[in-house]
Amino acid sequence: MIRLEDVSKVYKTSTRPALSEVSVEVDKGEFVFVIGPSGSGKSTFLRLLLREETPTRGKIFISDVDVAKMPRRKVPRLRQTIGCVFQDFRLLSNKTVFENVAFALEVIGKPAHTIRKVVPEVLELVGLDGKSDRMPNELSGGEQQRVAIARAFVNRPLMLLADEPTGNLDPETSQDIMLLLERINRTGTTVLMATHDHSIVDSMRRRVVELEFGKVIRDDARGVYGVGH
Amino acid sequence: MRASFVFSEVATGLRRNVTMTIAMILTTAISLTMLGGGLLIMQTVDLTKDRYLDDIEVSIFLTDDVSANDENCTEQPCADLRRSLEENPEVETVVFQSREEAYESFQRIFEQQPELVELARPEALPASLRVRLVDPERADVITNEYEGEAGIHQIQDQGVFLERLIDGLNSFRNITLVGSVALLAAALLLIANMVQISAFTRRTEVGIMRLVGATRWYTQLPFLLEAVVAGVTGALLAVASLVGVQLFVVDGVLAEIRDAGIIAIPSLLYTVLIVAPVLLLSAVVISAVTGYVTLRMYVRH
Repeated sequence: MIRLEDVSKVYKTSTRPALSEVSVEVDKGEFVFVIGPSGSGKSTFLRLLLREETPTRGKIFISDVDVAKMPRRKVPRLRQTIGCVFQDFRLLSNKTVFENVAFALEVIGKPAHTIRKVVPEVLELVGLDGKSDRMPNELSGGEQQRVAIARAFVNRPLMLLADEPTGNLDPETSQDIMLLLERINRTGTTVLMATHDHSIVDSMRRRVVELEFGKVIRDDARGVYGVGH
Repeated sequence: MRASFVFSEVATGLRRNVTMTIAMILTTAISLTMLGGGLLIMQTVDLTKDRYLDDIEVSIFLTDDVSANDENCTEQPCADLRRSLEENPEVETVVFQSREEAYESFQRIFEQQPELVELARPEALPASLRVRLVDPERADVITNEYEGEAGIHQIQDQGVFLERLIDGLNSFRNITLVGSVALLAAALLLIANMVQISAFTRRTEVGIMRLVGATRWYTQLPFLLEAVVAGVTGALLAVASLVGVQLFVVDGVLAEIRDAGIIAIPSLLYTVLIVAPVLLLSAVVISAVTGYVTLRMYVRH
């Protein structure tokens, strides 16, 4: 599904590489935590998968396609197979819950009848049925993140990237969001989640890839956040 | 491509930057009005030239002596002069106008001003040879060749007056065209600015669009269309004001000049069929190209 081969990324404005010779392979349907302190390269890792950045060295394969060499016009098609969730939700404040989710389909040209059918289904999946006409500011943080997850998942992506999705939520709400991500993972969607939330990583017992100074320092099949952090 | 989605984005964008949009529309409208005005003046010049060139003559006025004594141009030096002109390859026709005929024509031209006719005496008017040229704009050839010959008092080229009229119109045209270019530059910068502001205010939307895999067309077309819609609105205003000027100023205030046939003014049809499409096309091309270049330069994709 995802294969990084000796990937390094050096930003022009920085002397130290954001990622240094990272090799990671993720199978289809896996749930992987990417952990590490701020500045360890977690976000760069996710951005490379989205082709928001290209690696300075190394190769990145997604479904056996070399993402770094992909021509620009093919990037939208790649991104349609990847869902994204962020710490700050990134909802459109002037659109309702329904419209926010529908937006992701509208802008890739899905027909209206598909949108009318698919959006309520996914809202139900994330537990927001009945709230489709609410505005984002009328929702709790957890609910807003559910909208964001619905938007990321509505096009049935092969992979879901979550960058600190619980960073703005209290522990209990975070737990609900994790259950939701787990449910999405069970549908066969590969989930990559960058986080530094110890308790979540510890309670889930999933694969953990730990980064420090841009290097992979640990890759455990059933890991915990780790001692000393 | 979902048209309804793109158009609702365009409408939202235009409404959100309403002051900027209005500024851009007005600048575009004024610059295109001037451009259209320039085009109309150019057409006026062409029409006026056409009208006059057919009628333009070089008048060779004969001396008092000839005017008084040679009523039919049968004696010397008039007869020789006429033959020489008729044989000249530059000349199309030569017509002799005697002092009597000149007086009759004078009476006809000034019948509205009887006091002038009253004052004039036939003896004051010279007989003349009216020369029509193959190429009316080459009157100087005749002037140079015959100036100072016996029996000739003065050679007058009517084309000189036409040239003065045309020069006046041309400088007026140049002023409007220079003005329109300056304003077009301003309009261009406003379009670039508008697209940037628009892209900035909608950076969250655009960010999400890019993340979920919207193609370039989807993310950028709304901005381009915004610029084009504003540009076309400006062009429509420009066309409306040109038509307005034509209806109220030309057909009203300038009607006398036009009816007197002093200058030939292009018809309303010319404005609508020729000038309007030119203005609309310019607006579309300028706003689309500026929008596209701005997006390429300032908006990361």
